[in-house]
Amino acid sequence: MTASAITRPGERDRLIVKLAQIDWTFMLVLCLIAATGAAMLYSISGLSWEPWAAKHLVRFGLCVGLMIVLATVDVRFWFISAYPVYGFGLLLLIAVEIVGDTSLGAQRWLDLGFVRLQPSEIMKIGLVLALARFYHGLSAEAAKFSWRLVVPLVLIALPTLLVAHQPDLGTAVLLAATGAAVMVLAGLSLRVVGALAVTVAAAIPPFVMFVLHGYQRNRILTFLNPEADPSGSGYHILQSKIALGSGGLLGKGYGLGSQSQLNFLPEKHTDFIFATLAEEFGFVGCISVLLLYAAAITIALRIASISHSHFGRLGAAGVTATFALYVIINGAMVMGLAPVVGVPMPLLSFGGTVMLTVMIGFGLVQSVRVHRYSEITSGRGSLL
Amino acid sequence: MSELSIFFSEVNERKGVFNRRAFLMGGLAGGGMLALGGRLAQLQVLEFDRYRLMSTENQFNFRLIPPPRGRILDRFGVELASNRPNFRVLLVRDEINDIDATLDALSQLIPITPVRRRQLLREISRSPKLVPVAVAEDLTWEEFSRVNVRTPELRGVTADMGEARVYPHGGAFAHVVGYVAKVSDRDVAAAGLNPDPLLHHPGFRIGKQGVEKALDTVLRGKSGAVKTEVDALGREVRKDPEGDIKPVAGKTVVLSLDADVQSRALEVLGEDSGACVVIDVQSGDLICMASAPSFDANQFVRGLTSAEYRALSEYERRPLLDNALSGTYPPGSTFKPMTALAALDSGLVNPNETVVCSGQMWFGNRFFHCWKRGGHGAQNMHEAIKNSCDIYFYQTALKIGPDRIARVAQAFGLGQTFDIGISGQKPGLVPSTAWKRRQYKQPWYPGESLSFGIGQGALSANALQLAVMTARLANGYKALNPRLIKSIGGVETPSGAVAADLPFKPEHMELVRSGMAAVANDTTGTAYRASQLGLGPVLMAGKTGTAQVRVISRAERASGVRSNDSLPWHLRDHALFVAFAPYDAPRYALSIIVQHGGGGAAVAAPKAREIMRVVLLKDAAIRARIESPLPMPEAPMSTTGEVEGEAPPPPSETTLPAAAPTISGGPTQ
Repeated sequence: MTASAITRPGERDRLIVKLAQIDWTFMLVLCLIAATGAAMLYSISGLSWEPWAAKHLVRFGLCVGLMIVLATVDVRFWFISAYPVYGFGLLLLIAVEIVGDTSLGAQRWLDLGFVRLQPSEIMKIGLVLALARFYHGLSAEAAKFSWRLVVPLVLIALPTLLVAHQPDLGTAVLLAATGAAVMVLAGLSLRVVGALAVTVAAAIPPFVMFVLHGYQRNRILTFLNPEADPSGSGYHILQSKIALGSGGLLGKGYGLGSQSQLNFLPEKHTDFIFATLAEEFGFVGCISVLLLYAAAITIALRIASISHSHFGRLGAAGVTATFALYVIINGAMVMGLAPVVGVPMPLLSFGGTVMLTVMIGFGLVQSVRVHRYSEITSGRGSLL
Repeated sequence: MSELSIFFSEVNERKGVFNRRAFLMGGLAGGGMLALGGRLAQLQVLEFDRYRLMSTENQFNFRLIPPPRGRILDRFGVELASNRPNFRVLLVRDEINDIDATLDALSQLIPITPVRRRQLLREISRSPKLVPVAVAEDLTWEEFSRVNVRTPELRGVTADMGEARVYPHGGAFAHVVGYVAKVSDRDVAAAGLNPDPLLHHPGFRIGKQGVEKALDTVLRGKSGAVKTEVDALGREVRKDPEGDIKPVAGKTVVLSLDADVQSRALEVLGEDSGACVVIDVQSGDLICMASAPSFDANQFVRGLTSAEYRALSEYERRPLLDNALSGTYPPGSTFKPMTALAALDSGLVNPNETVVCSGQMWFGNRFFHCWKRGGHGAQNMHEAIKNSCDIYFYQTALKIGPDRIARVAQAFGLGQTFDIGISGQKPGLVPSTAWKRRQYKQPWYPGESLSFGIGQGALSANALQLAVMTARLANGYKALNPRLIKSIGGVETPSGAVAADLPFKPEHMELVRSGMAAVANDTTGTAYRASQLGLGPVLMAGKTGTAQVRVISRAERASGVRSNDSLPWHLRDHALFVAFAPYDAPRYALSIIVQHGGGGAAVAAPKAREIMRVVLLKDAAIRARIESPLPMPEAPMSTTGEVEGEAPPPPSETTLPAAAPTISGGPTQ
């Protein structure tokens, strides 16, 4: 059961070999993060498994199972399903646009009767897969700068615009950033990257003032000056900073965070769970969890870099980019460095859809590792 | 496998690019993480103290327990201001979803008029969401318990037993004791940057006038607090008995006033507008300081309706004004003793020299009249005081000039305010040549001396000053100061008797006093009939004053001066009277002003007699003297000189016989 086993085509298709090739260290890091999340949820609900902690663990358990199953799925299968998944996601986004269920003032959910689906989450995977597949057939020269890059741009723009129209600004930014990350990873000219970065930076102020909805604009203005209205729109940021700051070096102790226990902290079980962690476990606890995230990102990027297929590389790295963006945006938001956008801390926050997306994504990463020696020869299924 | 070969040539380049870019991305992610770590260090390590404080402020709520307000007592311990239990119903906006429904439910239990309801809704919308608003106060026990049993169903409603200020004497002390009322925005602003949190308590009332205002912080006490842990909605999660702070009750303030005298003074003043001040001649204690008309201070505690306030503020006789301190009037003839003393002190006037009064005198380019048509004939100083002869004092004032009179007036307390612990005193005005030059850039015209000499013209004084003036004259040797606040929290305040001596010769003052005795006790004195106390040997000395408000034209004088009764109220003369008693051994001095009351002798003196009788009868030593058998006729005549030369000794049995001879007037000159 050594590395030699998976280099042999006959040997490596055996299930037991595949399971052994799953990166269990990576799995452990993810489990630690999710367990921390469960512990915080247990604390917030007044040291009770209900209503969040137990659900969080059960969901994570199911997601781990799903991830193992996906890890054994041949990377070539991922490859051929890339465009269909993207197309399906796009159709759902359009469907939401037409018949979507409005919740919290935004059309984000599609009620299928038995389950409420959030197509933008499917799109996070779909976009990475589609981009990876496209770049798989593109030469390094063309990936650097050519007219063919119109295709990835359209692939990114379609879902981003649809999601932004819902309006879900946080996810839209995340989709655009993920797409951009894949393009850069694939080798987009750094000069073009620089030019685009400058353009985007220059476009932000007029965009904020003239295109955004009133409440979105307010969030951003509040972020810039939270003390202007501490009981109104600045409340979330201020209370979150109080929770963080009052945690100090070692925290107030498990279950003793007054900001979260007494409901001063908003959305304490979802978007602001990191603040609860910071309050109860202090600086040391926060840095520990951030190190876990850093470890997960490093491992995932290493897995991407050892893949023999370009599709595998870009797919795994794209998923990792999404994950890293989640962590950094949420962290910055909780610490008052970014406006309040609805981006949770992956695996730590309570919430099924995001956990599912992230774990499916890491299923792809594991699959890339398990099938790192597989060659994908062409756009069309050599698997068949 | 031809396709493969394309990839093999490509593959290494693409892999190389990817690895470099993946490294770059990892670096970016690491940088982001590092930034987050740095921010965490800033918030959690560097700014920890600040955020810990904010977190504690969030977590704990100190619910105020208002302290009982200090009582205000009179000199005998009678309550002038105290507290009574107040059953009320409070409402917290934040806990109520439907205000109208809650008020509907409440109005089933307690009466809420539509007017009150509108007022309440305004009040509720104005105050912060977490601050309780009083829906109803002063409920009966039945109403209170009706609400109390229903509070579990009525969210946000609490039945609460607080304390409310009560003034048992209603209006009698409304000006001097003052009142408390709801805290206004201006009060909060005046409290400075760090206002006492009590100011925001719904039941708290702040002193608005008189002693309640001047000693507000002393009376207020220190609020206590119950420390509770609250959640984000302000709901109580747990109590922390160790964190509780006990309230400290406000200090008791004892005034020098006498509730009986003050109440009687207000009764005597009745519907008239005016003021009466009674002062202890030996200690300077103010026995009475009444202002009429008055108002019920209790109304202010619960809050006036705008109609009530309009009625008070628009009434011509101005009940809200403290007449005793801020009402300044020309003292009229009550000032003549000052002119007389100035004349004696100057050495320019021999008291036995006479001035012939023909009823009028020509000066400058017009006639100056005496109040008595036809005149008094030849008058020496004693007679002039007794008869209040204007011509005598015109002449005297001309002779000695205004500055000598002003000096005496100032030495006796006119033109100044006294430190009696409450605000609102108006100093009035004592004119002089220097004042005239300063104020008008004009020289003093001799004609003005004439008016000044009889207490008119620019001269003005309030009732307190006139009482102090009389007390100093009666006391005869000390420039004693009035004292209103006797003790604060059991600590005695300095006595008014600790004062400098008057720079005048006692025999001069005795001369003036004997004139005042004649006013009240000589059968021809201006106030003889109105000043008889009917208290046996205890007699009163006094001086009438009728201060003219309008100019009487020559034509009118020719056709007969109109009587006060036929004039509109605001044109009638002010009636004044100053008095002290007992004459032989002065204990109490009094001043009374009846605004637009008419003649001093006819209107003010009878009132003064009534009030003085109450004062004297409350003094045990004087009662004993009244009730003791009459002294033997062989009372030694020789004691006269003693009284003349010395300060009046304190009243005691041994000095009593000295009374009779001096009262009779004449001989002492």
